[in-house]
Amino acid sequence: MTTEALNIHEAAAGTDQPLLRTASQDLRGYLFSKAGRLLLLAITSSSVLSVLLIFYFVSREALPFFADYSIRDFLTSTAWYPQHQDQQFGALAIIMGSVYVTVAALLIAVPIGILGAVFLSDITSFRIRGFVKPVIELLAAIPSVAYGFFAILVLAPFLQDKFGFDTGANALNASFILSIMALPTIISVCEDSLSAVGRELREASYGLGATRFETIFKVIIPAGHSGIIAGIVLGMMRAIGETMVVWMASGNATQIPSPWWDLSQSIRTMTATIAGDMGETARGSMHYRSLFAVGVLLLIMTFILNLFSEYFLTRAKKQLGKSR
Amino acid sequence: MRTRLRSVFDRLFTGCTYLVVAMMVAVLLVILIPIFRRGASAIVFRETIEFRRLQFDMNDRGDIEVLKAEEKQVNQFRSKVYKQIEDFKQAVDTAALFDRADEIYRDFNDELRQADIPRTQYLTTRIVNQQIRDHLRAAFEAGDPNQAKESLDSVMEFSEDQRFVGTVAEEFFELAQQFRGTLEQIDLASQRKYLAEVEQVEEIVRRMFGPKPGEPVPSMMRFRYGATRWDMAQRQLRAFLYTEQWVETEPGQPLEKTVALRADLFEGTQLYELFDYVEQNYERFFNPKLTFYWQYFIDDSTSGRYFGGVGPEIIGTLLLTLMSMIVVVPLGVISAAYLVECAGDNMIVRIIRMGINTLAGVPSIVFGLFGMAFFMLFLFPALGMSSRPSILAGSLTLSILTLPVMIRSSEEAIKSVPMGYKEASLALGASEFRTFITVTLPAALPGILTGAILSLSRVAGETAPILFTAAVALGPVPKSIMEPTRALSYGTYDMAVGDRIAMLVPHQQFGMVLTLITLVLLLNALSIILRAHIFKKLQGR
Repeated sequence: MTTEALNIHEAAAGTDQPLLRTASQDLRGYLFSKAGRLLLLAITSSSVLSVLLIFYFVSREALPFFADYSIRDFLTSTAWYPQHQDQQFGALAIIMGSVYVTVAALLIAVPIGILGAVFLSDITSFRIRGFVKPVIELLAAIPSVAYGFFAILVLAPFLQDKFGFDTGANALNASFILSIMALPTIISVCEDSLSAVGRELREASYGLGATRFETIFKVIIPAGHSGIIAGIVLGMMRAIGETMVVWMASGNATQIPSPWWDLSQSIRTMTATIAGDMGETARGSMHYRSLFAVGVLLLIMTFILNLFSEYFLTRAKKQLGKSR
Repeated sequence: MRTRLRSVFDRLFTGCTYLVVAMMVAVLLVILIPIFRRGASAIVFRETIEFRRLQFDMNDRGDIEVLKAEEKQVNQFRSKVYKQIEDFKQAVDTAALFDRADEIYRDFNDELRQADIPRTQYLTTRIVNQQIRDHLRAAFEAGDPNQAKESLDSVMEFSEDQRFVGTVAEEFFELAQQFRGTLEQIDLASQRKYLAEVEQVEEIVRRMFGPKPGEPVPSMMRFRYGATRWDMAQRQLRAFLYTEQWVETEPGQPLEKTVALRADLFEGTQLYELFDYVEQNYERFFNPKLTFYWQYFIDDSTSGRYFGGVGPEIIGTLLLTLMSMIVVVPLGVISAAYLVECAGDNMIVRIIRMGINTLAGVPSIVFGLFGMAFFMLFLFPALGMSSRPSILAGSLTLSILTLPVMIRSSEEAIKSVPMGYKEASLALGASEFRTFITVTLPAALPGILTGAILSLSRVAGETAPILFTAAVALGPVPKSIMEPTRALSYGTYDMAVGDRIAMLVPHQQFGMVLTLITLVLLLNALSIILRAHIFKKLQGR
């Protein structure tokens, strides 16, 4: 101990410099590291800058639209006739289209997703888990345009032949594919939060004589509910923001299905409208700006959903942190 | 009792979860299997001689001598088909016969004028010539067989005449005989119908064998060759042998499809045998051989992607993804380094984290809008560059899209470097910066690489952001990064819904999506292997 200390002193003496220099002793080094940190911070904030730029530039193209067209009509009218002589931009039908496919997709994906997450966290063995995990990763890895390809060229003819729908490209087709795409997100977030529910809770429940079913439904899911909600919200974001699948598979008919529950009708979503119409508009025209207005709407919706998901994720972290 | 009920519930629930997982596996298989099975047929299939000809013409592949010999052999069998159709068509095509009679008339007149015969004989022969022609034309025009036969008889009366022996006029009598033969086989009333039918047959033969020998080369690439694949040839054979008709069975009801033998339409005519001949010799027309067309991945396609491969699409996708990686990897790694190493838990970091999360949640189509509004319409014009869609605009848009993925994975990688490494380095007197560059970064590199490959695979599959910023459906291979490009993802979309010609070639559609999925899955597999490798290494310690 003492010899080592002696060595250090000798080394310090040898170079004639103290081991740790204060800011005043090494001003250049200090400034250098401060400047470096600032530079790093500047680079790191590029993602924040990107978000601001996105909001600014998308709204900049959209704002002149709202100067000419009332927001109320935009949000409440279903008359979307951008190419008519008498242009009308009632976006309600396409907003409802997005809502339809998202809700329908979640109705399929949420129960399956939660059961799948429970399977991974509580039921299966380590070996089967090693087999199921890659399956979910594969589902997440397939590009959305490939899903759309499958929807329009394989699933749509099948629906048309076997179920006698007028067209295979309809809300049901799109929702079904969207639910598959939302599943990986829902499962992985839910599983994380279910796994984070501690062993103690599980063991206490089993110790009291509860079956696995009761343990999962009365203890584990309530304990991990914040994470589950976060997973559902993230799945919802994935579904509402998805473009290629809905563009290819939903049939692109600007209408609200009537009767309202009839998913075998074609619909059109906000994302598909932007993707489909942009090619036909002239830059700077009313129609062009209206598409940016739809983009702003999408941006706001996903931003709010994002706030929700973050709220629930932080709450999940806090709650589960306490239970440990 | 209650205990039993509870255990039944328990079992049921467990069964449900197993069922759900089995369903997911099934869905994955249902999606991937048709794509892989049908996509593989773009690469492994039975090529016909037409394909070999196409490959020689387009890419100079194959041996011309061998090809010529093969073509000669095949044409032996094909020529019989052509001849039969030609003969039949000549027989039923009265308009052509009409013209032919006129032609002979004119030829004979010329011959007479030059012949060394007395003036009176010349004049009478001329008149007879005209009579014969008119009789023939009457026979061709007659709707009624008996009437036609009468006219033909009047023509044949002259056949013994010495004046016509050894002259062009003999062709009159050949024509008349031939037409008499036709009359015995074909009902005159349905001649027009036959003509339409045989023209349809000719069209199908053209689709099977390509343009007739001697016909001008069609301007459309896809009409220049016959069936290049055995499966397409088979489809043409089916069209050749059977006719589909939409028949109204009950008034007011939707039409029903009925299938009939095409040969039956020609029953009793000389063309009837052709159908048997074609069916029995079908392989000899094409000489099909199993082939592995690996050049699919490098070849350009012809207009409408009817022939050829996905080479330019692969190049475009690689350019877009690699360029976006050049931007996003440094940005992502530096951001992650700052967040892990330098930042505590203060307001600024919380805002940055929120920015990253928001960015991750922005829909991909909005990135497309942003890329267009910011890069193409604001930044590039301000820098004096073009505001057209370009690879640069597309890859910059994609790099912002994938930034959150990159930051998160790099963060994980940097965090997973054991604390001991850093402490050892710091204890040796290295500065924080030096420690990061020489110790933390190399240790985290495999993890960072994994993340980079994952974002690469995500970028490769993205379509919506490049819709307005970089992608075109068809066009030349870009020469600079300021030009738009084709891409696998956009090509997949375009072939599935945008392009009508693509519907005729499903193997091309599925080949494109197969290439895209294979590329993405290979990248994913690579990252999984890398991750497993790192995991093992960390476990080993």
